[in-house]
Amino acid sequence: MGTISLTIDGQGVEVQEGKTILQASREAGIVIPTICDHKDLNPYGACRMCVVEIEGVRGFPTSCTTPASDGMVVKTQSAELTTLRNRTLELMLSGHPNSCLVCVHREACEKYRPGATKAGRATRCGFCSNREECSLREMALRAGENELGLPTLYSAHNVERSDPFMDRDYNLCILCGRCWRICEKIHGKPAISIINRGKWARLGTAFHKSHVFSGCTFCGSCIDICPTGTLTDRFARWYGKPDDRNLSACTLCAEGCSLFALTKSRRLVATRMTSFQWEASLCALGRFALAQIVNAPERLIRPAVQEGEDQIPCDWDTALELAASELPRFTESLAIVVSESTTREDRFLYARLAERLGASLIVVPSSRNGVEKELQGFTADLEKGRFRAVISGGDFLSAELLKGLNFSVVIDCLPSSGARGAKVVLPAAVLSEVEGTWRNVSGEVKELPAVSLPPGQARPEWQIICQLAQKMGLEGFEFKSAREVTSLVGSDPAPRPFDGEPRRGLRQLPSRFRGHLAADWVRPLEAFGMPSTPLEEMTESSKEGFEILERREVVPNMYFIKIMAPQVAKFAKPGQFVILMARETSERSPFTLVDWNGAEGTISLIIEEVGRSSRELISLPVGARVAHVSGPLGMPLPMEKKGTVVLGGGCYGIGAIYPIARGLREAGNHVIVVIEASSSYLLFMEDELKTVSDELIIATKDGSRGTRGGVQEVFVNLVQRGVDVAMFVAVGCTFMMRMAAEATKPLGIPTLVALNPIMVDGTGMCGACRVSIEGRTRFACVDGPFFDAHGVDWDELFSRRSAYSREEIEAMPQMVDLNALIHPHGSGGGCGSSCSHR
Amino acid sequence: MTAMLTEQQFDRIFSNHSPTRDSLIPILQDVQDTMEYLSPEALEAVARYLNLSENDVYGVATFYAQFRFHPPGRHRLKVCLGTACHVRGSGLILEGVSRRLGVVPGETTEDGSFTLERVACFGSCALAPVVVLDDKVYGRMTTRKTQKIIEDTE
Repeated sequence: MGTISLTIDGQGVEVQEGKTILQASREAGIVIPTICDHKDLNPYGACRMCVVEIEGVRGFPTSCTTPASDGMVVKTQSAELTTLRNRTLELMLSGHPNSCLVCVHREACEKYRPGATKAGRATRCGFCSNREECSLREMALRAGENELGLPTLYSAHNVERSDPFMDRDYNLCILCGRCWRICEKIHGKPAISIINRGKWARLGTAFHKSHVFSGCTFCGSCIDICPTGTLTDRFARWYGKPDDRNLSACTLCAEGCSLFALTKSRRLVATRMTSFQWEASLCALGRFALAQIVNAPERLIRPAVQEGEDQIPCDWDTALELAASELPRFTESLAIVVSESTTREDRFLYARLAERLGASLIVVPSSRNGVEKELQGFTADLEKGRFRAVISGGDFLSAELLKGLNFSVVIDCLPSSGARGAKVVLPAAVLSEVEGTWRNVSGEVKELPAVSLPPGQARPEWQIICQLAQKMGLEGFEFKSAREVTSLVGSDPAPRPFDGEPRRGLRQLPSRFRGHLAADWVRPLEAFGMPSTPLEEMTESSKEGFEILERREVVPNMYFIKIMAPQVAKFAKPGQFVILMARETSERSPFTLVDWNGAEGTISLIIEEVGRSSRELISLPVGARVAHVSGPLGMPLPMEKKGTVVLGGGCYGIGAIYPIARGLREAGNHVIVVIEASSSYLLFMEDELKTVSDELIIATKDGSRGTRGGVQEVFVNLVQRGVDVAMFVAVGCTFMMRMAAEATKPLGIPTLVALNPIMVDGTGMCGACRVSIEGRTRFACVDGPFFDAHGVDWDELFSRRSAYSREEIEAMPQMVDLNALIHPHGSGGGCGSSCSHR
Repeated sequence: MTAMLTEQQFDRIFSNHSPTRDSLIPILQDVQDTMEYLSPEALEAVARYLNLSENDVYGVATFYAQFRFHPPGRHRLKVCLGTACHVRGSGLILEGVSRRLGVVPGETTEDGSFTLERVACFGSCALAPVVVLDDKVYGRMTTRKTQKIIEDTE
């Protein structure tokens, strides 16, 4: 193929024939904006961002689909092109939540709220887990337009969370088609497609089947290639953009696929395929389960030794010394069982230890469902009394078997019922925490870097063995790192082939890791029919607790909930709050009372979905019971006559100011209510607020209704208009209240804010809700929630509120409601009829 | 109404078309002609014959207004929403009928008597707004008149 020469932006460019204008420009270092284009995908021409001008050609062709030809004169920049691209971008943004992009408070907001809020629906960038990596956002900010000429259309699709491992929020989708195109490229037959037409067009499966039955293998390529926050990895999403990426390999089965380990602050947040090719693709376990196994909250973190019936945590020396004093007594009657998923270095050292002690070494391969089969011969030997002691590198033997032995050491990463019978339990670092090498079934040796930190005191196995051996006085274990062992390993055998093709089907995944059922630690795997140990059923009496009488999503993420709680309803006063627990085991979380009815015995709340606990609450259906409601708590706001009072409410605060407005108006005040939301479709309770106020003013961050900006802009306008404000009360998120406080401070107007620190008991005992007001420590639960806004130490409040942000992320639910998965044959027909023609 | 064609019916349809992607729409049309709608099972069979993803087939089928995914009722009520009918208020007729029958366009009433459809022009614009019940054209319609023909048909 010959080369051709063309001119792009006045620059002579020579490229191979067959290249597109976009490719030619890139080779020449000329940047053309793109969204739907991706280097691993064929040109598609959907987003229209890459339009260019070509001399002698009418209109504005897309450079990604137009082949470069000899003598062509191309312009990639012109005033007209910029306008065209900006209008295209606006069209895309009109169907994608955008208020944060045009918000006047964006810089302050990002400074005070660096992390994304874990909301249910991403109604703005601040609620989107993909904020740091969004192509659309990046492009919009670069275009620098801070006003949109088109209205925002929120399509209000339900966030799809019933499939394992992925959350899909099609309200963010711009139909660039990258997801189904990569799916088709890698798998041939895509598991998703663009369905419907026109404004109803969206990505989906045939007849809205669950992805588990749509041919999806959960390779995650669609998530990794999505330019927006539409498709996300449920486990990884809230950790934010990874700060490191290392080439590693999966050792969960003999295939040993290469992968990228993505880490954030040395924590493994996700594993991804190394390139968008079938050859490089991963199975559901390699893509999604690996990080969840490594991060399992149940990981073993301390050594333990058996005393009587119990296992007592102890330090490493105690545990190692006990093992070192006992093990040498057994020699030929000692067996060492290790998993093939350990590194070559680990297995080399296990083998050396076995050899020095005269023990037998059993290496257990990974398999689809037959690890027990592999161990049959060995357990038979154990039962016959062939062995009297065991070192087990996993969940291979039952507690009864171990108890029947004279001595046993379990070196493992996760607890197991078997380990309960062991004399010594040693916590092992695994997978991404261990440096070493690994040989896969085709004989390839892959490097495994240690990219994440092991939990607690867990140590890599090579180190444990060396320390154990040295304590036994054995020689040949003086290694300082796994690297020193690598050269000694030599030509170890490749692992035995895996009895399935995990990347081709969800029913072919390895079911065990180090003898543990993978689905026990990564519950979403149950949706693929993988075996697991049933969880203990939570026995909760449906007769106890507080019945939910009403529940509806008033606007995205905002739920109105009415609960039967007569004692609270009887004594409630404006400004007070309650603490709820969805279930007996739930966190206690405070919510401001929006309304109550002493005669009916009911209370009403607005709950915003922003994390684990609020999600538990809003997930309860009408008729279900909230385990606990305690309240009314906090000091009520005094309902005194002051003159003109302004009440500002944002987000959930829109509901919270309702009783305050009512009370203050009844006390004879002139009440002006100001409510703010990021966009008009997020405003609610307007009619109710009109009935309890003399004036209702609306502010939206994107200017789609009312004043553009927040409560503070409206307030300053009011003061400038000459309104003599006696008091300002702001209720909303910490950021909104801080901004309001900063606006009223120079005006010298008394301002009260309802502080919302982390709260536990709500009665002044725990001190979690400590806030500093004018240098004095106060408890928001009993001294507040209302405080003088100008005396609040806001920086302290922000930092105390984010003290548990990592734990809050870890607590996000990963489980899948199996009942929610759509039956593979849909609603009609059923299996009988679908089989009739075969 | 069956959710599935017999093997013979499928063979007859497939024998008229080569197993290539180009045949997809003609095959879907033949399937719908035979069974009056496209069921999940039928799409599965078509996808298998053409070696396509079922999701892909569904994506194509949902792009075209001509394909149905629910069994049609005994009577088909079509409300025109073409330009002429639209400006003469056919949107209100559709809304009223939709409420009266308790279904949205494209759906069939629970008792299987009516399928409601929205159509973009019958070419009888002079009679706008137009409603077509089965094969009979009714011109200059109102919500009340449409309710009446529904009652008479029932």
